[in-house]
Amino acid sequence: MRYTRREWLWKTGTALSGASLGRAAGAPTAPVAVARCKTYNPAELLPTMRKMFDQLGGLGRLVKGKTVAIKINLSGSPTYRLGYLPLEDTHYTHPHVIAAAAHLMAEAGARRIRLLESPWSTAEPVEEYLLRADCEPRDILGAAPNVEFENTNYLGTGKKYSRLTVPFGGYVFPAFDLNHSYADCDVFVSLAKMKEHATAGVTLSMKNCFGLTPCTIYGTGAGIDEPSETPKGGRSLIHAGDRQPSKSAPPEKDPRSPRQDTWRVPRTVVDLVAARPVQLAIVEGIKTMTGGEGPWVGEDLKAVAPGVMVAGLNPVSTDAVAMAVMGFDPMADRGTPPFERCDSTLKLAEEAGIGTRDLKRIEVVGASIAEVKFDFAAIRRQRRAAPPPPFGMRG
Amino acid sequence: MTAPWTPMRWPDGWKDPRVLDLLRGTAIDHLVIGAGAEWSAVRSRAAQDGFHVSAPGAAPAGVEIVKGQWPGVKMERRGGGGASAGPTGEPWVDSNGWAIRLAAALHPDSAVWVDAVPAGNAFITAGSYLIAVADSAAYGGRWIVSLDNPLSVSLAAGKSDALATWRRLTAAAGFFAAHKAWPAYVPMAVVGVVSDFTGDNEFFSQELLNLLARAGQHCRILPKDRISDASLASLRAAIYADAEPPAPTLRKQILAFVAAGGMLITAPTWGEVPDTPIQNDGNRRYSLRALGKGKVAVAVAGSDDPYLWANESVVMVSHRYDLVRFWNSGAASSFCTVAPDGRQAVAHLLFYAYRGPDSATVRIAGRYRAVRAYTADNPAATKVDWAPQSDAVEIHLPPVPQYVALELDIQ
Repeated sequence: MRYTRREWLWKTGTALSGASLGRAAGAPTAPVAVARCKTYNPAELLPTMRKMFDQLGGLGRLVKGKTVAIKINLSGSPTYRLGYLPLEDTHYTHPHVIAAAAHLMAEAGARRIRLLESPWSTAEPVEEYLLRADCEPRDILGAAPNVEFENTNYLGTGKKYSRLTVPFGGYVFPAFDLNHSYADCDVFVSLAKMKEHATAGVTLSMKNCFGLTPCTIYGTGAGIDEPSETPKGGRSLIHAGDRQPSKSAPPEKDPRSPRQDTWRVPRTVVDLVAARPVQLAIVEGIKTMTGGEGPWVGEDLKAVAPGVMVAGLNPVSTDAVAMAVMGFDPMADRGTPPFERCDSTLKLAEEAGIGTRDLKRIEVVGASIAEVKFDFAAIRRQRRAAPPPPFGMRG
Repeated sequence: MTAPWTPMRWPDGWKDPRVLDLLRGTAIDHLVIGAGAEWSAVRSRAAQDGFHVSAPGAAPAGVEIVKGQWPGVKMERRGGGGASAGPTGEPWVDSNGWAIRLAAALHPDSAVWVDAVPAGNAFITAGSYLIAVADSAAYGGRWIVSLDNPLSVSLAAGKSDALATWRRLTAAAGFFAAHKAWPAYVPMAVVGVVSDFTGDNEFFSQELLNLLARAGQHCRILPKDRISDASLASLRAAIYADAEPPAPTLRKQILAFVAAGGMLITAPTWGEVPDTPIQNDGNRRYSLRALGKGKVAVAVAGSDDPYLWANESVVMVSHRYDLVRFWNSGAASSFCTVAPDGRQAVAHLLFYAYRGPDSATVRIAGRYRAVRAYTADNPAATKVDWAPQSDAVEIHLPPVPQYVALELDIQ
């Protein structure tokens, strides 16, 4: 575990404050439902998800009469596959899972269901993005009444961006200017894919929220003074801190803070989850991949079928259980897998008081962790013990 | 469209007629040789050997010459050596396909040659020459084979590396010469671009064709003085962006296409449009109106960027109707045609990186019962895995070079 002097000063400064330790001890917890689900067949998927939500106390009390916003995960370009596999079998939230979630929300009385994503470098409708990925948006839109998509990578259908502040003050950002959809909802759901992540160790319900940030403000091609009209490129601004957001949005708290993505990304994710609280976290691990968050990651990537779903009312606790299902220790800190090179988003979120990652404090309902465990950690050890894959163009 | 000859520009440094032996057994059968006395022996021997010979700058009868660009991924000029990117971060590809199709639309009885010499700062490989040959021939044209100076010098000296590059180039030229029927196949298209492509409309209309190709859209080029009722058949949309309104007959033809379910994308210069506005949740730069079963999208005044027109029209028409979709292809383009008897389609796939992809997937709309893949350096069919979908076929390509032709038997 190596720190730069600046990182060390930041780390010790935080630890010495003692406030974070206090918040961690009292961080809230909530039950987490775990289920075996081997296929995307609606005949298996729908009852499995219904039962999980019932185990959490029922969807009705959460969504009845409400506008529900669901952040899905369509990470990376829709033209990039792992080998010949469909994107939804490796790194996209599967359309059947999205459709099932929408169907169950409507069944539980949701008034309006809004499916949100900030697709890679485009202002085109999410429906068009799905078509480019060879997914059928009509299957999702037809799953329930009043289902709609919005591309949140730009202003979208709103008249202005909504400012969401970070209640605890924020690690990197004190507030964010986001697409209106994240403010104009009663319930916010993160519907994520169970994956490792090259920068953040894992990507689960919290890391999924990295995509809340519109690239018109937080992207490579963001406007300097005002947001750009359309998004261009990725979020190097957040990864590398090579520039500030558009001046119309709140700047970083301290532009002298570390510029390493392994420091910045976990903290920014926690800031986002604090600013836009997640009321329901769902992690889909029926089919996914090991080695990273998408086919562009320079590891020996493999498609896998863990056949598991995890859902909970607290994103930190849900991600902690999901990490345990993956064979990782959710109490791991920087230097320990899967956080060999990065800070733990879970630890930072716990210290911010968002939720506990301590399995001893989390009630797991449904299947036990041991029953559904799919050992990403063991595959990671084997992969990293082997010579690296030959460098070359994958596709 | 026809392609009776495979032309080559004779390198200035080749003054010895014996170099003509290099061409023996290749498809090259038309030489563009300098008019100077130093090449008189070459000209004589070429004529004796049965080559057609012409002079630079003078297109032979029945040939239209298009001044083209060296095809490929445009590289940064200021250091770095990286690929130049378009506004969305995608690699910027130079291709002559649209210009060949335009020349063919304006001169349907002519062959089209592309005059594109290797760019001075380009990194030229055997693969670059394969792309240069295929980028023209896939669209029914022919690249005037033009060697860069180092290759022509090395070839004349008989160097083995140069001969290997030459064999690959001539194999590609031979592949297309062996498929003489393909240039007469009918292009498949989703969108029609209606214009006179000249005068005040030249820049916008031609840049629109260029940028639609870059956006992966398949176009039918429709010179507006030749439109019949059949011209718009099977299209999803027509784009009319000329500076002047259409003549009454053309207006009537296009509005009939819209009433039957098509889409018209046009500018305020179109003039009066149907007065039935419909909700437009998407692009704020267009207002939508209903007409019969179709729609008219009118750009707001001052919307004159062909890049936006090209890319926004693709979304307005919808990716649902994409003729071709690629995965893991890198910078790629495609051109699809159907045999005149309607029994077979050919999809030309071009990959513009320095090597072809190793696990690309391509989805081609339509219903097919068999798929065969050909590469320019292997005339035998390559086996490919393919899976039918409800209204398309998905093909998994093994590692391939920069050009692949897919022959598809139509159901």
